[in-house]
Amino acid sequence: MNSYEHTFITRYDLQESQTKKVLEKYEEIIKKNSGKILKIEEWGLRPLSHEIQKNKKGFYFHFKFEGAGKTVEELEKAENIDQMVIRFLTIKVKKLDLETNYFEKKEY
Amino acid sequence: MKRTKRKDLKKKGSGFAKLSLFQKPGIKFFKACPLSGKEAPVVDYKNLKILKKYLSESGRILPSRITSVCLKKQKELARAVKRARLLALL
Repeated sequence: MNSYEHTFITRYDLQESQTKKVLEKYEEIIKKNSGKILKIEEWGLRPLSHEIQKNKKGFYFHFKFEGAGKTVEELEKAENIDQMVIRFLTIKVKKLDLETNYFEKKEY
Repeated sequence: MKRTKRKDLKKKGSGFAKLSLFQKPGIKFFKACPLSGKEAPVVDYKNLKILKKYLSESGRILPSRITSVCLKKQKELARAVKRARLLALL
């Protein structure tokens, strides 16, 4: 088992119910592929420092989870196809830091 | 009085090395690395407060000869900045 940090950005013109659906979808993918979610952070709507696919803002979601390499593979495979998600980043860490949250939820 | 060992002096760099004959004694030339040691801030791609300190106005990474960050931390810093750029945080 490895520990991972995963962040993804969705398009900004989504309703709140839609963003929740996206979040639940990826939660389920992690759980299905022998992963275990330890923490979910919602950074909310943030302005992007540069445009990504003609989006100027985006909803940020951050997972901290444990899983195998296959978990990440399946997760990224699904995100590559998804049109709601504009960017994602997975990072393998030695030790997960569950306490500090650098981003508090803000509305712009 | 506690005397520092020679080994320790070498490791940290005493900072009193003479560059010229006319240099005033007791003036330090080298700063210690601000990112290593105890109670140093964590270099992480989410920790934007720290990352912004080591960027120029136009968003480029500052060289370590200006910021006096050690090599190990400079490499970590560069990686963190690049990750933050990918996520459009910086």
